[in-house]
Amino acid sequence: MSDDTTNLADSGCVSRRNFLFGSSAVVASSILLPALPGTGGKALAAEMARYPRKLVGKLSSLKTNEVQHFNYPDDGSTAKSVIVKLGTPAGGGIGKGRDVVAFNALCTHMGGDMRKTYKSEHQVLGPCPFHQSTFDLQRHGMIVSGHATESLPQVLLELEGDDIYAVGLIGLIYGRYDNLKG
Amino acid sequence: MSDQSTPFFQPEDKIPLPPKSAEVLTTCCDYCVMACGYKVYRWPVGSADGGPRKHENAVNRNYPLRPNQSGWIGPNQYTQATYDGRLYNLAIIPDPDAKVVNVKGGHSIRGGCIAQKVYNPRKPTQDRLKYPMIRINDILMPVTWDFALDIMAAVSKHVIAKHGEAAWAMKYFSYQYFENTYALTKLAFKDINTPAVAHHDHPAIVNSVPGWVDMGYDIFSASHEDFALADCVLISGTDPYESKTVLWNNWILKGINGNKTKVIMINPRRTMGVAYAETHGGLHLDINPGSDTVVQMAIQRVILENGWEDKEFIDKWVANFWETDSGFGQGTRNTPWQWRTTWGKFQVKGFEDWKAWMLSQEESKPEVAAEIAGIDVAKIYKAAEMMAKPKANGERVKTSIAIEKGNYWSNNYLNTVSIGTMGAILGAGGRPGQVVTRLGGHQRGGVNGGPYPTMKSAYKVPGRRRHRLDLDRWMEAGHVRFAYVIGTTWIQAMAGSSALADTFKKLIKLNPHQVRSFDKQEIIDTLIRRSDSGGTVVVNQDIYLRDPIGAQYADIVLPAATWGEEDFARANSERRIRLYSKFYDAPGDALPDWKIAAKFAKKMGFEGYDWKDSNDVFEETCRFSRGSRKDYQVIRTMAQRKGMKAHDFLRTFGTTGLQAPLMLFGDKIVETKRLHDYNRTDIPDTGPEGVTIVNKRMTAFKTHTGKLNLLKSPWAEWSDFYEFMKPRDGELWIATGRINEIWESGFDDFERRPYTQQRWPMNFLEIHPDDAKARGVESGDIVAVEADRVPIQKDFNLGVKSDDMRFSGLMKRGHIKISTGQFSAVAIVTPSTKKGVVFTDFLKMDSPANSVTPRVPDPFTLNYRFKIANGKVKRVGESVFKHKFSQMTFKRRDIV
Repeated sequence: MSDDTTNLADSGCVSRRNFLFGSSAVVASSILLPALPGTGGKALAAEMARYPRKLVGKLSSLKTNEVQHFNYPDDGSTAKSVIVKLGTPAGGGIGKGRDVVAFNALCTHMGGDMRKTYKSEHQVLGPCPFHQSTFDLQRHGMIVSGHATESLPQVLLELEGDDIYAVGLIGLIYGRYDNLKG
Repeated sequence: MSDQSTPFFQPEDKIPLPPKSAEVLTTCCDYCVMACGYKVYRWPVGSADGGPRKHENAVNRNYPLRPNQSGWIGPNQYTQATYDGRLYNLAIIPDPDAKVVNVKGGHSIRGGCIAQKVYNPRKPTQDRLKYPMIRINDILMPVTWDFALDIMAAVSKHVIAKHGEAAWAMKYFSYQYFENTYALTKLAFKDINTPAVAHHDHPAIVNSVPGWVDMGYDIFSASHEDFALADCVLISGTDPYESKTVLWNNWILKGINGNKTKVIMINPRRTMGVAYAETHGGLHLDINPGSDTVVQMAIQRVILENGWEDKEFIDKWVANFWETDSGFGQGTRNTPWQWRTTWGKFQVKGFEDWKAWMLSQEESKPEVAAEIAGIDVAKIYKAAEMMAKPKANGERVKTSIAIEKGNYWSNNYLNTVSIGTMGAILGAGGRPGQVVTRLGGHQRGGVNGGPYPTMKSAYKVPGRRRHRLDLDRWMEAGHVRFAYVIGTTWIQAMAGSSALADTFKKLIKLNPHQVRSFDKQEIIDTLIRRSDSGGTVVVNQDIYLRDPIGAQYADIVLPAATWGEEDFARANSERRIRLYSKFYDAPGDALPDWKIAAKFAKKMGFEGYDWKDSNDVFEETCRFSRGSRKDYQVIRTMAQRKGMKAHDFLRTFGTTGLQAPLMLFGDKIVETKRLHDYNRTDIPDTGPEGVTIVNKRMTAFKTHTGKLNLLKSPWAEWSDFYEFMKPRDGELWIATGRINEIWESGFDDFERRPYTQQRWPMNFLEIHPDDAKARGVESGDIVAVEADRVPIQKDFNLGVKSDDMRFSGLMKRGHIKISTGQFSAVAIVTPSTKKGVVFTDFLKMDSPANSVTPRVPDPFTLNYRFKIANGKVKRVGESVFKHKFSQMTFKRRDIV
């Protein structure tokens, strides 16, 4: 556990730099960035630096298992995303319970819109209306069952006071060739 | 709880698009039997990438795409490889313009990621086998092809001369490309003429669904379209959602949502396909493993008692006594049907006789069958009604039957007989939406380069005929002095694998004659001494070093080139043949299997192996396909008329290919949508031209009369073995099977794919919450599965009396030894598996479930009973995945 990160969480303020390089803890407010071997996280940090920082919601307005919609990283037709407080800790979760996560909601198999398919008893998004793929929101959008060729792109979140900011994506949004070219 | 979480697989968030100038090549997925069409876009690294507008890229799409538009290139669909000495970008995606199979670019998770199969020295595939190797001082050392093959040939010649052809064994992948299976079987059958040959999935060369083949149904008679046309589909022993994904996505879903098709699933597990079918008017028969026959019989009894059978079809297409008992071919003489029926156990005197037998059977009573199967008896009545009760307007329900390994790898003969007779009384076979078929596993690339020498087999069944050689029993008995193993693990893939591994160790590693010299002659002499002393010499040919067959046992390891590295051809589950283009160079010194076989054959002194390229081999195979369900002779004939190579002619048909059997009228190729199509009208009375054949199976059933022979399925032929295998004293049924993420791709490189490793880093065991609680097991715990009574038939190859091969008799007379088996797994506690039944992956190489499966093959058919195993489940402790988020999920897989 990093004291640095814990303090940041307590202060409710996470700077971009700390977000990119800090570790997280049970009460940490930011996701730990994936650390590529030998790079100390710098490669991905550089990658994420190209993403916009966008206010997507208020922590206090999230109710457990209630899905809110937002668009990220732009307002293109494939930017449809969901943010949900799972009520149980999750990979990349923010907030005191580490349970607030966000994902692009297009199925990475054939692009089915899954925004309205959240299954609260399982913390799963899906089944996709097209071909029934399901994704585990507790575990970075990993495929539970189905056909998709990557996990659901996870929207990286930062918390600043009560404000939740989207700051990056892991994975490619279905239908795009570049996440930033919607 | 871990204080951090990093996703194990971190894909790129941008991918280069192929430019307009990119070369486009067609191929198909290398994995399951659907063989979806794929396109490969290839453009040099360093040249300009394409743009997002339609006119700027080779996929001819505007990006971003709309949902379901197809043509997306995901991170797992892009790689780089060397072609002709130059580095290229490769985008490999399901053909967005496909007109058949995966229409408009559908795909599974396996095919969708197939670009990652391509050898790329900067990616996890970098450990492909690249050079021939010889084991010296127990280390595999690189050598040249000539060095390795000289030794292989010298030892082979000695073994054949001194110990006989049957001491030279070949274990190989029957599903591979035509060019490869042809070259290997030409070598083994035509030239060496050994009976000691077995396919990757059986102990011998056998039929998977012999019951209904004896009746006259072909194994792959259907077209994919039939699953969208049926009113009702009975699917047993598989879930096509998990395996055969595109059959589900593109065809069965089309039926369910467009045609209101009702799907009945027979499976101990409630998988996603089952769950979806249930919510769309379908039915789940959650039977105990191995109880299929009685459930199938009970459903037929209900149909017969209600008079719901298809009387018109039965009158016309079911053989009466005289028809059954007379004639040639599949009649009473010289047929497998007869070998199995010398004592009249199975044959009947026509429909009425069969009906009387069926109604007289205690096990066909629904209540009795339901008790044996552990299901609600109402489901048997419901299933019969769904399949056979006439509609309100009096029309028949169009019902199709499709099965796979969960059905035929338990009680093989009786299950495949009794589901075949169900097809017959439902009028299924040869009509749109009314078919009986396997759904299939691997693709269909077998073509024989020579006849199997049955008379050389040492195994004889009661009656008059010989069985083909059971290679595992032959190996256990110490008769194999040289084994050529191509594209299979052999050991873990076979039943009772722990005991089989002991045999390999004894005959190879523990033999005193081990190579400790780099002198070619001394190596040859040492290996000859090993074979003469009763040991075995092993050559293993594969794309990766497999453990243990390659890593521990092989004396010589040969590197094979594969999909994408050579032009190949193969058929799929609806007999559709396509060209699989070469699009990059094989790693190192790797060669395609046909070329290795040819090099070896020449060193053996055999003639007829002077092929220049794979097209030469393909053209030679064509005539051996004549009269088969894959008859593709026409491809060669038409190519010759056009002055083209046969491969190039086939290439012009792209991902659509040609659906066999093929016939020729003038210059017109006539394809075959489904077999047994007695209503087809596109075959002129004059018959097809020249080299092409109208085989009986195309317009009738595959018997001497063209009619179906009904057969009996007496439960007593199985019940003694079943009673022995039933769990007792805290044991559970151990069911094995496949999962979507690893299906007919296990031979390949799923271990090398971070995306799949994230999902399945270890073997898994699905266990019902009640069974888990009783054992203190939670999701994420590591469990040990242990069986302490795994029966192994160790000998007894000469059957004389009727019941000699029955399990209780084998046991009593001492032909069964009891072995043990163990494997470990991470528990997934889920009510989707039936109480009393646990489910695990069929073949996880580092934790093989086959260590607990019984090695007592079906005495009538030599199929293993992989799906009937028992064992105890114990908690070992927590896995690293239990409290971390980065790998493995424990969510239910049947959420609808």
